[in-house]
Amino acid sequence: MTELILRDIGILTLVSVVFAIILVIAQKVLNNYGILKIRINKKRDVEVQGGNTLLSSLADKQIFIPSACGGRGSCGACKCIVTEGGGPLLPTEKPLLTKQEIEGNVRLACQVKVKSEVQIEIPESIFNIRRFRTRVTKIEDYTYDTKGITFTLLDPDKISFKAGQYMQLESQPYAKMKQKVVRAYSISSKPQDETSFQLIIRLVPEGICTTWVHQYLKEGDEVYLTGPYGDFFIRDTDADIIFVAGGSGKAPIKAMLEDLEIVGCNRKMTYYFGARTTKDLYLTEYMQHFESVFPDFQYVPVLSHAEPSENWQGRTGFVMPYFKERIENPQNTEAYLCGSPGMINAVTKGLIEMGVAKDKIYYDSFG
Amino acid sequence: MKQTTKEKRIEHRLQPGVLTLSGFMGTDKRYWQEIVAADEAKLEELGITAEEIADRMQYFTDQSWDLFDRELELEGKFSVETEVVRGKLPCPFSHAGIYRKAFTILTRIDTGESLRWSSLNLHLIRDHHFFEGIGSPFRLNPEDLVRILF
Repeated sequence: MTELILRDIGILTLVSVVFAIILVIAQKVLNNYGILKIRINKKRDVEVQGGNTLLSSLADKQIFIPSACGGRGSCGACKCIVTEGGGPLLPTEKPLLTKQEIEGNVRLACQVKVKSEVQIEIPESIFNIRRFRTRVTKIEDYTYDTKGITFTLLDPDKISFKAGQYMQLESQPYAKMKQKVVRAYSISSKPQDETSFQLIIRLVPEGICTTWVHQYLKEGDEVYLTGPYGDFFIRDTDADIIFVAGGSGKAPIKAMLEDLEIVGCNRKMTYYFGARTTKDLYLTEYMQHFESVFPDFQYVPVLSHAEPSENWQGRTGFVMPYFKERIENPQNTEAYLCGSPGMINAVTKGLIEMGVAKDKIYYDSFG
Repeated sequence: MKQTTKEKRIEHRLQPGVLTLSGFMGTDKRYWQEIVAADEAKLEELGITAEEIADRMQYFTDQSWDLFDRELELEGKFSVETEVVRGKLPCPFSHAGIYRKAFTILTRIDTGESLRWSSLNLHLIRDHHFFEGIGSPFRLNPEDLVRILF
């Protein structure tokens, strides 16, 4: 009897093992998509190992589509047009795409798996994006919650960008953080510095990447960044310029002014910087020095929560009421805004009411 | 408690260092389902629904959304401001959508009591009845919400 039971157990075990082996082999065969072609902008082909996401497959070929969440499908930044081979639209993509985008074959590169030959369309500027190995060479405290970080390039050792563009910083695991995260920050230094660049990073409450930067990052550390990204840059016209920024939104405007200082600029320019209190002001003297660099430039800090004890002699409240001091010809005025969506909305509304054309208002929103 | 794979995945995403630095559970040792059940029971006792609370919070957030760095006085007894910082967060329950890192601070002028909530808090309360674990930096007690918001 015992012998029979043992024999049955043996047979069952053998059958289970055989099935398991068949399953593993089948999985390997079925999931092996082989080498597949991604055709980009109908003129360039790259060959990738099938089965991975479009985002990671392209990154393996040094083609970096913007992604602020590291491919988790939460930021919606990695949009690209997939004209063939993307498979059906996934439920994870729908909330991040508009009706028009869906109709225009826009997909999230982090959600599309390369399982057959794929045809995509991406902006040509993406080919300029690289992943840089850098060394942190300077960390400056600007305020109690804002730091300026200078990264010197190691590999590649040069970068080409437009003032106003941004980089994506990869944090490293720390404390309870088990994995790296990727976050976007504007470049705050001039593009003529080809071997290094600076980012201005404000500590965000509970922010994974900003906490890493503020509490763990040290001078001498090696850090990886990808970029440059974005289309927030100064248009080459002769129009007057209004800059408006708040908090770390100062970064791209600083880069633009440093760039204009080198290339030369005779345009009438005014820079309104909104902050809560004097503790939130930084680089004030540096910004004021541009008043002697350009023929017609004014730096106007405006505080929203100045305490009487601060003895603030400057402007207070919203920035908008002060526009009329400097905007003389709204039809010939461009605006460059960087800050929270609330600030962008309110300032845009104020500028349009003054007669500035909506299509002359350029912005980089934190949202 | 026996958890399904989906529930385990949610449990993981609520932990520190996954979606946010401190996570959503704080020092609470209960399962998230137990936290939701306990807070739902408290809401019933208080005679209010999570949706009604979320509606009231959304009202204050909407009113102050475009007033960057400025407080707004409402109904003669509330001071409210909303600050938006860089970044967005996904829902730990894998619900569709992402939420701006926008923080609304509401202060009762008459009592000085104050509440702070994020856009994600609003979603978690409305759609998941999740007020976060005790000790979480963004935990909102239903009793406090009812006392201060109305």
